[in-house]
Amino acid sequence: MKNGFAVFFAVIVALGGSWLGFVVAPAIQLGKAKQAVILNSTDTWPQQRTGEATLGLQIYRANGCAACHTEQIRQDGVAAEVTLTSLGKSKPEDLKAFVRSLFILPELATLTNDLAATLKDWKGDLPATILTTSDKAVADAFADRLKAAGAKSETRVVAIGADLPRWGVRRSVAADYLYDFPVQLGSLRVGPDLADVGARLSDANWQLLHLYAPKLSVTNSAMPSFKFLFDVRKIGSTPSPDALNLPPGFAPAAGYQVVPKLEAKELVAYLLSLRADAPLYEAPFSPITSAKP
Amino acid sequence: MSEDPSSCPAPTNAEPTATRSTAPMWIVVTTLTLLFLGFVFFDKHSGWFDARIYAPYSSAEQLEAFQPKSGAAAAAAQGKKVYEAVCGICHGVDGLGKPGQAPPLAGSEWVLAKGINRLAHIPLAGVSGTLTVEGKEWNLNMAAMGAALPDGDLAAVLTYMRSAWGNKAGEVTADDIKKIRADIKGTQPMTGDQMKSMPE
Repeated sequence: MKNGFAVFFAVIVALGGSWLGFVVAPAIQLGKAKQAVILNSTDTWPQQRTGEATLGLQIYRANGCAACHTEQIRQDGVAAEVTLTSLGKSKPEDLKAFVRSLFILPELATLTNDLAATLKDWKGDLPATILTTSDKAVADAFADRLKAAGAKSETRVVAIGADLPRWGVRRSVAADYLYDFPVQLGSLRVGPDLADVGARLSDANWQLLHLYAPKLSVTNSAMPSFKFLFDVRKIGSTPSPDALNLPPGFAPAAGYQVVPKLEAKELVAYLLSLRADAPLYEAPFSPITSAKP
Repeated sequence: MSEDPSSCPAPTNAEPTATRSTAPMWIVVTTLTLLFLGFVFFDKHSGWFDARIYAPYSSAEQLEAFQPKSGAAAAAAQGKKVYEAVCGICHGVDGLGKPGQAPPLAGSEWVLAKGINRLAHIPLAGVSGTLTVEGKEWNLNMAAMGAALPDGDLAAVLTYMRSAWGNKAGEVTADDIKKIRADIKGTQPMTGDQMKSMPE
């Protein structure tokens, strides 16, 4: 071969370069990843799965769920919201006048239209979100001015994007996948994203019914029925405590019951263990706490 | 062999051949410089390849600015943290208490009282003797567990107690705690009867 050495060298550079970039560099960066700490808390994230849920990941993999479902929530931006929680001694009208007097501030210049519209609709009910901005410093300065006027407010950090909040509350980060092997990222969304499905749909019974008959909960669902994860058994002296409670049209013949197999229970345990709802340093947001009286 | 091959005239329809020449140095240098500057620009806008920085954040400063550090969420988290470290040992992290030792806080009329005067006295002064909680009599011996906590932390704990485990009662502020702390005289724990004689 005329340019044997050059070809060999080019192959080494191409393969070696991608190996360095796609294997070595990520391993250096995240290979020693440990559990993260949840913001404003001492709890760690994520928790190791139960044995049942760990086995369920293999059922998820074996049934090709990742062909139609992703496990990665994307985030396009972040917003800071100033929410009024208490007016102090002032009346809503006074506060509106005060906020209108702030319109001359240069940092609020681009927000005055939104602010004016919000104030117009606001009837004095609390808590009320009155300012939404992508600049945290502006939100903090605004909250400080409200405080000086005697009103109490809270600055909340909210993740925003096309996937949010319908599929989760924040984006997926590397820590979320710490105990997934292999990671079931998926690349096609025929069905919804499942990264936070354990928090969104936390009812195990709903999940079982949905696996058995997807059209039961979503009439035009494209998801196939996973009937082979269930046994149709004759009802003995007493019905099984696990038997599904199916409506007419989905129920088996009289005298029979649908009982989930071990695989179905493991798969549901895995689905319920999928969560991405804890605020982390790398993906901060303000969780919604229980409403105040 | 009288013919000399080099003297032959070149055939007119011969295959053209390529010759080699080195690329000009300025192209190599410009390309490498542009590549380098491109990577620097890319890194600068993605947090210098930091594993903790994901889109939409582009720098460590920006990520730091968006950490939620104030407000009700942070206070509730602080309350939970202190509760689990100090109160949860006896009263349980679920607020259900321990039979024979610590009464439940979930649904307790002492926790859910309208005012917080009696409630705040319990951790600040301690309780000994009998006290009725949720219709059950308890023989208590609780030290002043909250006396050493800062006002803000104790307020956060009481707020957490009044909002966790299905409890729904108003917030407690650091100023309330400050006032009640000033009221407490002596170091003796309060008895159940003393507690009941106090305003709520």
